[in-house]
Amino acid sequence: MPPLRVSHLTKRYRTRDGGSLEAVSDVSFDVSAGECFGLLGPNGAGKSTTIQCITGFYPPTSGEVFLGGIGVQREPKRARRILGVCAQDETLDSDFRALDQLVRYATFFHVPVAEGQRRARALLERFGLAEKSAEQVEALSGGMKRRLQVARALISEPTVLVLDEPTTGLDPEVRRVLWQILMEERGKGAAILLCTHYMDEAERLCDRVGIIAKGRILDVDSPRSLIARHMGSTEVEEEVRPGAIWRRPPNLEDVYLKLTGTRLHAAAEAP
Amino acid sequence: MKILDSLWGVRCVWLRYFDVFRKSIRYYLVTSFTEPVLYLLSFGLGVGALVGTMNVNGVPVSYRSFVFAGIIGQTVLFQGFYEASFGGFVRMYYQKIFSAMAVTPITLSEVLWGELLWDASKAAVAAEVVTLIGVAMGDFAPLALLSVPPVAFLSSLLFAAFGLAVAARAQSIEEISYPQYLVIFPMFLFCGVFYPIESLPGWLQWAAWALPLTSVVSILRTLTLDFPFQYWAVPILAAWLLLLVAYSRRAMSGRLVK
Repeated sequence: MPPLRVSHLTKRYRTRDGGSLEAVSDVSFDVSAGECFGLLGPNGAGKSTTIQCITGFYPPTSGEVFLGGIGVQREPKRARRILGVCAQDETLDSDFRALDQLVRYATFFHVPVAEGQRRARALLERFGLAEKSAEQVEALSGGMKRRLQVARALISEPTVLVLDEPTTGLDPEVRRVLWQILMEERGKGAAILLCTHYMDEAERLCDRVGIIAKGRILDVDSPRSLIARHMGSTEVEEEVRPGAIWRRPPNLEDVYLKLTGTRLHAAAEAP
Repeated sequence: MKILDSLWGVRCVWLRYFDVFRKSIRYYLVTSFTEPVLYLLSFGLGVGALVGTMNVNGVPVSYRSFVFAGIIGQTVLFQGFYEASFGGFVRMYYQKIFSAMAVTPITLSEVLWGELLWDASKAAVAAEVVTLIGVAMGDFAPLALLSVPPVAFLSSLLFAAFGLAVAARAQSIEEISYPQYLVIFPMFLFCGVFYPIESLPGWLQWAAWALPLTSVVSILRTLTLDFPFQYWAVPILAAWLLLLVAYSRRAMSGRLVK
């Protein structure tokens, strides 16, 4: 079995008016070792709910999630030993300094303190945060906090890495640093699930992409194959502002548009 | 084996809180101990000098000793409730650390046990400091140092559970003020911390006994001042403890997990 398997996952919420909302409908995919799988869709598409079910935080209505072949609902503690998560929200522990935070988090994965300190120092160095190791979280900039949160996801040396919009709000330089680190982790054999609504990020990083909308995966393939199958090679004309038409090769966003009829960024920015 | 694994998870969470406590010890010492010590000094020494000795349920006792025992109860009430309600809300809503810890090999259930046990530990230590002052001033027998902590811990757990339940139900941090003013302060004032509840009208005595702090204070006075044991305090306390611990964990899980 691959490091991450999502099998026929369905999640229904009870709404305040007593009804129910199906946030994720019969979603299935695998992520192999050394693969980066992208889950693309606007806010409300079901990406974060899928992630919450993968981590075992939300119980699925039906279906199963396996981490390293272990059912995450049946044995969450064992299954999550191989899991590193970077949530969409900032969930850093602001009661700790940067280094201490990573060390404390490592203990949750049975990593001894001395080993946690070694790993934490190495990660802070790798993420360009070594000089900030003694800083409180609140003293860090937004980009630094995001880097620290991704670093924290790596402290247990996970074989499955789940990242929910890890680069949202980052400047281009920091984004590239993070991309480089993610590719290094993939190179080491990690199975990476990357949720994003940045098409360029998905095209660059992901071996395969699943496009999700209204809780359903509409198609799964490599970015290149998705573009070829849905858009062909014909250049696309886009009116970028009134009277200014650009011609460019088709991309994933065009695929998304064709599949869903929704403009991704516009949808993502909707309240 | 499974239970050991769960205990390991709870221990990890408890140690996380202890680590924060250790790193900010000066802040915690000031915020945890100043209030009970001020109450001890003002009511114990100030009002105590005016009232002198009184007779409560046939037992002659100095007001200072009487109020010292009550302040142990007040300490577990305030420390347990505030740490779990305001602190719990901050950790759940702003810091989101419950969610962050619960996607590691630690389950949400263990996170919430860790939270409650830490809140109770911290409050029980503060109560033990008050007891120590009482022993040092000759108000309590030294044995109280051993007999008070278990009761203080369970009582703190009860009030921490109430605080966590409040945090789970509050939509904003300001909403925590409602139970603070409508439940915590009335308990503080009417459950026998400062005067015997027997001096209240009958209906108000019944109301006071329905609230858990009266039972806590009654048991504490039995342990520290040899007051007659009011046996019904135990089932009242146990019922509140079981109810609130179960409810708070359910409410917080329901708030976080959809």
